[in-house]
Amino acid sequence: MSIHQFGKKFITLLYTLTRACRIYDLNNDVVITAGQKFYQFINSLFDIFENIEIVRYRDYIFFNKQRLRFEIEGYASLQFIDNRLKHLDIKTIVISKGIEKDEIMRFITIFKETKDIFMNEIKQKSFPHIFVEFKTTKDEIPDFLQNGERTKKVYFKALMVTKNLMQNLWVNRTVDVRSSKRVVYNLIDTLSRDEFGLLALTTIKNFDEYTFNHSVNVGILSLALGQRIGLSKKDLVKLGTAGILHDIGKVEIDKGIIYKPGRLSTSEWEIIKLHSNFGVRQILKTRGLDEVSLYAIVVSYQHHWNYNGTGYPPRKEDEHPIFFSNIVRITDCYDAMTTFRPYQPTPYIPPLAIKVIWAKRGILFDPVIVKAFTQLLGVYPVGSCLKLSSQEIGLVVRQNPGHIEHPIIKIILDSKGKKVDGHTIDLSLDKKVSIINPVYPQKYSINPASYFV
Amino acid sequence: MVTEVEKIIIEMVKVTKAFQMYGMEHPSFKSFFTPFYKKITEFLNHNRELKLQVERFTILYQDKEIYKETEKELSIAFRLFRDGIRNIGFTDGLTADELLLFLDIISKQSKDQDIALNLWEADFSHIEFYVVDEEEEEELQYKIPEAPIENIDYDEILNHIRKKEKIDFEEEIKPDLNNTELSYLKNEILKVEKEPILGPAISTLINFLQTEQFSDIIDSLTELAKYSLDQQDFTNAHTIVVKIKELTEKNIIEKFENEMQIASFKNIVDILDEKKFNEFLDFISLFSKKAIPHLLNLTTSIKRPERLNAMRNRIADIAQDDPSPLLNFLESKNEAILINAISILGIMNIPASVEYFEPLITHPSIRVRSALITALAKFEKPELIAQLLNDPEIEVRIKALRALCRIKYPKIYPVLIQRIKSKKFHDYEFTEQKEIFNCLVANGDIQTIKLLKQILFRRLLFGRKRYKTMRHLAAMALAQINSPEALDVLNKGMHTRNKDIRNACQQALTKK
Ligand SMILES: [Fe+2]
Ligand SMILES: [Fe+2]
Repeated sequence: MSIHQFGKKFITLLYTLTRACRIYDLNNDVVITAGQKFYQFINSLFDIFENIEIVRYRDYIFFNKQRLRFEIEGYASLQFIDNRLKHLDIKTIVISKGIEKDEIMRFITIFKETKDIFMNEIKQKSFPHIFVEFKTTKDEIPDFLQNGERTKKVYFKALMVTKNLMQNLWVNRTVDVRSSKRVVYNLIDTLSRDEFGLLALTTIKNFDEYTFNHSVNVGILSLALGQRIGLSKKDLVKLGTAGILHDIGKVEIDKGIIYKPGRLSTSEWEIIKLHSNFGVRQILKTRGLDEVSLYAIVVSYQHHWNYNGTGYPPRKEDEHPIFFSNIVRITDCYDAMTTFRPYQPTPYIPPLAIKVIWAKRGILFDPVIVKAFTQLLGVYPVGSCLKLSSQEIGLVVRQNPGHIEHPIIKIILDSKGKKVDGHTIDLSLDKKVSIINPVYPQKYSINPASYFV
Repeated sequence: MVTEVEKIIIEMVKVTKAFQMYGMEHPSFKSFFTPFYKKITEFLNHNRELKLQVERFTILYQDKEIYKETEKELSIAFRLFRDGIRNIGFTDGLTADELLLFLDIISKQSKDQDIALNLWEADFSHIEFYVVDEEEEEELQYKIPEAPIENIDYDEILNHIRKKEKIDFEEEIKPDLNNTELSYLKNEILKVEKEPILGPAISTLINFLQTEQFSDIIDSLTELAKYSLDQQDFTNAHTIVVKIKELTEKNIIEKFENEMQIASFKNIVDILDEKKFNEFLDFISLFSKKAIPHLLNLTTSIKRPERLNAMRNRIADIAQDDPSPLLNFLESKNEAILINAISILGIMNIPASVEYFEPLITHPSIRVRSALITALAKFEKPELIAQLLNDPEIEVRIKALRALCRIKYPKIYPVLIQRIKSKKFHDYEFTEQKEIFNCLVANGDIQTIKLLKQILFRRLLFGRKRYKTMRHLAAMALAQINSPEALDVLNKGMHTRNKDIRNACQQALTKK
């Protein structure tokens, strides 16, 4: 088992035990069994680790320094423990060797309680093998906008490489496959370290050359979704590459049509539609026939195939999109909808795009993947601007796992409409402010992406 | 500690060389690897980790140089450095498999090789590394593009979108997955791991070909067909060949009917499961006559008789009505090939090939002569089989007799009678004697009963004991004829005073 697996098992067992203690009293069989299991597992961990350390920092949970990812599997347990730690204001818990069952059970009985009871009890009673550190005002609400430099570097590097790749293909020059492979690997590594940070960067849209940002964004969104549903690293490479390359066929289409301002004629649309087809040739040309490239080829061809059988290019009745095409179908639509394009002068704001995708699940989109996608981005995805009950405007800076309607926001306009460097509010905790409705950032001359870079 | 690490690195260099020279399986490599693995794990046990810095031609441990090789070709440091690796760390728990894979990756010398990519793909649990990109040092300049500022009534836009989309904007979003949905996802993920992408990729390329006949796509499909064959995926290979022919009138099968490709099937024909074998046969059917010599070669390696038979039938189909590609092999010195060629010609059943068989009647190999009978049995002309009645081997003679039983050759009748009546007949083994009588019955007429009756009732002064067998054979033959007349003879025999005749008749009737 990897540290990550140990961590997830630890969280699951802790969750089961805490929940059992909330419902039954300590003598109940369910509680006793759960306690026994947790105790045994902890003991087995001490064969490997000196201590067990749980840290909640910047909305991420770390088990012995390893960040635990939110995945569909074990989602409920991690979310529960995350909320518990958040509620109790705990930053760190360290359990050390030699702990007995009795101490564990005493701890759990207060761990399930309110913040006041917990704080009181942990100071009063003796817990020789459990150390708890509370959050200080300094790390009270982390500044999410201070993104990791590394994350940004990876994003822009990805953008540069994708741009080079497409521009070279446009003029039929040879391309460097190695660097585009590395981009995907770096994105996957970054995602496992800083999922929210990388997702925030997908709010960057380029108004002049939207294709490059779009390609990278679709790659990142697909990877984040793939990671959430538990794809292996190897499969993520296939999905990420397919995501980045999904529109690569556009390099065969006259730039005049792609960047034509205003409405496209029917015949121009027919030409645009060919890009799914052309992608096949372009990917073959650049990447050859390895397994990753075969996935990219299929996804490029199928990424406009809808769940209900419509879409282009036309298909036979027994032809169905592969799983990865269904994923890219959704991430592609989401990013396209929220991006300014010549033929779409006003993009949908993210909450609106989510609504549309949600409503069209089972029609245009695979309904199960839509659910996972909505869990990932929430009802108000990162980069959404929200009008608050306080008349201020808040920018969504982070998702709150388990609270899809209550993200973490930063106040960027005060109630008078003046730009401010406001505070960060966790809407799942702070009930004094509520969301009135999402708004167009352009209306207030705001470019959400600029806050994340 | 530095000297300890230095020793480990010296050993690693040796192991890498041994790996390049002998490969993983060789005992020489193992004799280097085992102590190296022991040494490194002992170190990790004590120190938990071993972190190395990589510079252009050197490797450092705790800032001290422990390896230097300035010859680019030989330098491990250079190979790692060139691909951007600046740090390598081994941690406690390192397995032998991980270490072997690591050595495999760093010892490959090819130019397209990217060690960083390969290390990343290996996804090690106990080997860490840090890679820099060439541009790492320079700052990535990027400006956030500004949105075009236009005078737009955004509230109006919102209303417009709401109207256009015709969806219920008030519907609550509840994305929790139930168990069915969870298992759907799990299953899809499993499919990614288990179901090869080859099928969808091939359909995609074929779809592309339908809209545009691009030669690169044909080449790629050809390559995929080759890959499919390597994976024993004959259905996909079949689809590719058929579809390309249908769409482009180009027949790529010629790329596969070569000696190498067909020889590559050698070890698999016997071990494929039934379904795969049939798919294999379907693929083989696409071959042209050019493939026949190689296919013939392939048949010599097949051990399972039913598979061999199926292959011979398939080759006969490929040859259609033209025996010429096979006739050449009737002069082959290779017994197995010769036998297969004979059998296939037999299956094809083209009378014109009979004349080519004639010289083989005296072929020194029993198996060849025997195969010849099987093949000749399929033709209308049994004269050649009759010639084999004089074969020196009993096995061949019996086979010839049986064949003549089946295909009927009345001309053989007098020959058989003569043989029965000859003195030499008593020297034949009983099985052959029996077959001669069987053959006689099969090719005889009404006269046969009379003749058998004579043999059965023949009065003798001498050699009664030896003649017992003759009576017995005659009685059996009559029982085999089984007509009222024949049975009448046997019944009569039951009532003679001669004990030998009675016994023979009784035995024949009860056996019947
Ligand atoms: Fe597209
Ligand atoms: Fe797209």
